[in-house]
Amino acid sequence: MTKMIGKSVKRVEDKRFITGKGQYTDDIILPNMVYAHFVRSPYAHAKILSVDTAEALAHPGVIAVYTGADVAEVNGVPCGWQVNFKSGETMKEPKHPLLVVNKARHAGDAVAVVIAESKEAARDAVDLVEVDYEELDAVVDPKKAAEDGAPLVHEDAPNNICFDWELGNPKEEVDAAIAGSAHVTTLEFANQRVIPNAIEPRSYIGDYDVAHDKYTLYTSTQNPHLIRLLLCAFVLGIPEHKVRVVSKDVGGGFGSKIFHYAEEALVTWIAKELGRPVKWTADRSEAFLTDAHGRDHVTKAEMGFDEEGNITGLRIKTYAAMGGYLSTFAPAVPTYLHGTLLQGLYTTPKIHVDVVATFTHTCAVDAYRGAGRPEATYLLERMLDTAALEMGMDPAELRFKNFIPAFNGVDEEGYVTNVALQYDSGNYHPVLQRALEMVGYEDFRKEQAAARENGKLLGIGFSTYIEACGIAPSAVVGALGARAGLFEVSQVRVQPTGMVSVYTGAHSHGQGHETTFAQVVADKFGIPLEHVDIVHGDSDSVAFGMGTYGSRSLAVGGSALVKSIEKVIEKGTKIAAHVLEAAEDDLEFADGKWTVKGTDKSIGFGDVSLTAYVPHNYPAGLEPGLDFSSFYDPTNFTYPFGAHIAIVEVDKDTGKVSLKRFIAVDDVGNVINPMIVDGQIHGGVVQGVGQAMFEQAHYDEDGQLITGSYMDYAMPRADDIPMIETDRTTTPCPHNPLGVKGAGEAGAIGSTPAVVNAVMDALSPFGVKNLSMPLTSESVWRAMNS
Amino acid sequence: MKKQINLTVNGKAYSHEVEPRTLLVHYLRDTLRLTGTHVGCDTSSCGSCTILMDGQAVKCCSLLAVQADGANITTIEGLAENGTLHPLQEGFREEHGLQCGFCTPGMIMTAADLLSNNADPSEEEIRHALEGNFCRCTGYHNIVKSIQYAANKINKKEVVS
Amino acid sequence: MKIEGDYLLKASPATLWEKLLHTETLAKITPGVKHLEETAPGQFIATSEIKIGPVQGSFKGDLSIKDKKEPEGFTLVLSQKSKIGNATAEVKLNIIPESAEETKVKYEGKAKLSGVLARTGQRVIGGVVKTLAKQFFKALEAELAKGTSDVEVSPTEASPPPSPEADTPPA
Repeated sequence: MTKMIGKSVKRVEDKRFITGKGQYTDDIILPNMVYAHFVRSPYAHAKILSVDTAEALAHPGVIAVYTGADVAEVNGVPCGWQVNFKSGETMKEPKHPLLVVNKARHAGDAVAVVIAESKEAARDAVDLVEVDYEELDAVVDPKKAAEDGAPLVHEDAPNNICFDWELGNPKEEVDAAIAGSAHVTTLEFANQRVIPNAIEPRSYIGDYDVAHDKYTLYTSTQNPHLIRLLLCAFVLGIPEHKVRVVSKDVGGGFGSKIFHYAEEALVTWIAKELGRPVKWTADRSEAFLTDAHGRDHVTKAEMGFDEEGNITGLRIKTYAAMGGYLSTFAPAVPTYLHGTLLQGLYTTPKIHVDVVATFTHTCAVDAYRGAGRPEATYLLERMLDTAALEMGMDPAELRFKNFIPAFNGVDEEGYVTNVALQYDSGNYHPVLQRALEMVGYEDFRKEQAAARENGKLLGIGFSTYIEACGIAPSAVVGALGARAGLFEVSQVRVQPTGMVSVYTGAHSHGQGHETTFAQVVADKFGIPLEHVDIVHGDSDSVAFGMGTYGSRSLAVGGSALVKSIEKVIEKGTKIAAHVLEAAEDDLEFADGKWTVKGTDKSIGFGDVSLTAYVPHNYPAGLEPGLDFSSFYDPTNFTYPFGAHIAIVEVDKDTGKVSLKRFIAVDDVGNVINPMIVDGQIHGGVVQGVGQAMFEQAHYDEDGQLITGSYMDYAMPRADDIPMIETDRTTTPCPHNPLGVKGAGEAGAIGSTPAVVNAVMDALSPFGVKNLSMPLTSESVWRAMNS
Repeated sequence: MKKQINLTVNGKAYSHEVEPRTLLVHYLRDTLRLTGTHVGCDTSSCGSCTILMDGQAVKCCSLLAVQADGANITTIEGLAENGTLHPLQEGFREEHGLQCGFCTPGMIMTAADLLSNNADPSEEEIRHALEGNFCRCTGYHNIVKSIQYAANKINKKEVVS
Repeated sequence: MKIEGDYLLKASPATLWEKLLHTETLAKITPGVKHLEETAPGQFIATSEIKIGPVQGSFKGDLSIKDKKEPEGFTLVLSQKSKIGNATAEVKLNIIPESAEETKVKYEGKAKLSGVLARTGQRVIGGVVKTLAKQFFKALEAELAKGTSDVEVSPTEASPPPSPEADTPPA
């Protein structure tokens, strides 16, 4: 049997997708189903004076209209992460009702929901619900929100502050380090708000089976069990064993489908009220207005250097938007996923980060591909390239000078940072070295100089990043404020004929688990890939799970899988020893069979599994069957890293930025399927490039989202992007059985600053040092012409 | 109020009464239950709903069902012939041209139109043809390669025959 | 959103004042207005139909005139609701004599949009407002050319809904 781990096996799941047989939630039509459509506030901040549903109720096909008053008894949507104020006081956690009771807090806030026999009737009747609003002033900027006199999002959160938080070395030590520096680089910038835009809009169906008193929620989520837990224990107060959550095929998530949304709870609740299945599918406008957004930080960063260019200290002040309500993991993003990453790959001896999280009259902000780590990386990497420019040093050289020396985490200790983490293993020089080779750095600098002579603006930008993923040890995240454990669960059920069904709590919405997880099983058991089936996304068949986000599936879910595999092999060895009349120690398991060492006596995997289910000739005292579950709670995060280089050309006349080349050298630990890892990197890189060059969720001062459709929100298209040049180094994770680190977010974390740095490099003859993202033709042209 | 339409979808003739305002994509998804054609936006910007109508790639979220009266339509479900995958379907699998799969049918139908007009497109021509289709997963890299794979396969076949 | 502009008309400030504050004339010359009814001095209920680029809708709401200073100017306050979002505006009109025959009407103010109107229409709204203003003054010019103030128009019989080009460049 050939090894399956490390091979670019073609994806098992593709067959259904390329033939149009995928089953996304909106593809499901249940008998007797009705449709929901929401009445949403046109204002960012408004008192609801009255809601008149009479005309809507009279509309043909309309069955019911629910308003905030109808669901006032139901709990609101909970937040899953608690961050405390520096003072120790608990963060402000205002109620997030399923429907607005008396005040709308962002444009798109749900005021009422119409249920009708058809989508069309529901949509028509939404226009007939008369809502009398009193518009109030709004605030949309995370920093301005904290100013005295800013309109309040929640009356019980003074100055709109959700919490303030700090991490790192004592502030005085950092102040002193920076004050004593030979050079200090200071940048102020926004990490602008972006919208995840999974191409499948969110879709939910609530169903209630009166005969069994059982609910089923079909949902486009990244974590069905977590949704069930939140829905049951916090929102609706119904017993978990009476709820099944199903998320079959999900059309991309990028973080936005991690969270528990009010619409999920509503369709479930209404299904019982009406005794009929209720479906809601967002249209794209609703997706823009209500899918949790990403980023939205306003930051001042100061980095000190000594005369040789060694970093002496880093001081950060960030205002981070939470939006109108706290989404599931929102408080974790600017704190434990951002502040903790500010060591980067560098030996910075003193770091202090101060974060103020504010409510604004905008859609909630939560984890979006990378979640906090892209913001940290953007900050560090912009500082490094800017500092290099200011000090007249080469940006690659400056990085080499400050890199943490290599450590493998096995016989060399993990690196302890100044911001609460211990890196597992790292070897940072080779990734940048390899990226420089790929780009042909020396030649490029010559080409760039020659191009400048001819009036052509070429630029190169660097980004060397680290991320913490494989989220994460439950005890650690618990201490940091998580209200859930973050282990993962697997069940390996060997069927009597030797076929294997795997139930995993991880969830695939594009990642290809049906292939990679099957590769691990096939490899470890020495059986054909076709003999393995991966089941996920159904809380009634999968025992439990924490879902997929934070690049955790293989590092945590894959480790849980290996634990169950090992248990199967261990029990199989007992059975094989009995049948072969040999001692267990004399057996070896390889290539799908147990062999008595040094003989040709062996028994195959299928025969052992059959014996386990037909236990006629069977070890005394051993239970029949071959079916094991495991929970795996990691001992640390994993820390992938890499070096990204962008080359851009800026058109002098129009300011248009063209991405000419993009080089990504990543180290994600061991790789199960290189093809899939490359695909993850490509997609991540382009999302990061999108933030650098095109994307911005823009709220006007009244809180209207004026980039609320694909006509105004620019996403990268095929002809905006070159082929992505990738390579890898491999530094295995020392603390999980597969040695894997995670690859889902790496591209999005590394790429954004590389592109911006490249544009700044191209614009350096104009003395331009800092521009806000996205780098549109207009802003670049203005910078060159001012 | 309802209007009668007659059309051919994936080689099969259909006749239905539809509301004049029913969108073609809803007719295909809800009436014919061909759910491989997806709805990703409401502004005909994302391309997830692309089908072939009389051989031309169209976004059926911005067409009324009544506009398809008399048309010959191919959706992703009708692309494979006698169980043999179309070279584009094969290409997307071989070159990992899809991740979550939601944009995939639209991408493949758009590419089918491209290849029927230009059997050997350059990378630039492929990227240009895909301008009206969003993919958020792949960064387009492997989609381009998938279409190149299909073009190569189709061209080789032509040389052989 | 800022609204500002001016228009030169062949009329005296007094004539302009009279025309601009005459309900029937106002209903007739304001683009898109279907109905204008005075409920109290300077207070109106207005319904209109407007198509703005990719969005269109029927609007209904209040229109009032305040800070009247004859014949120098007044402030128009508008609060219109529709299914595609609501619009409020406060626009100050200044009537400035330029020469013996000509008078300039200068307008400046702010408008606020919400809902789909803000989300999808914002991109083209600047151009739309300019077009609407131009239509308004053109119609006013036509009225002035007729010369008399005895306009015999019923409030329901008004101008057709304007449909400015969707690709009107933003201001």
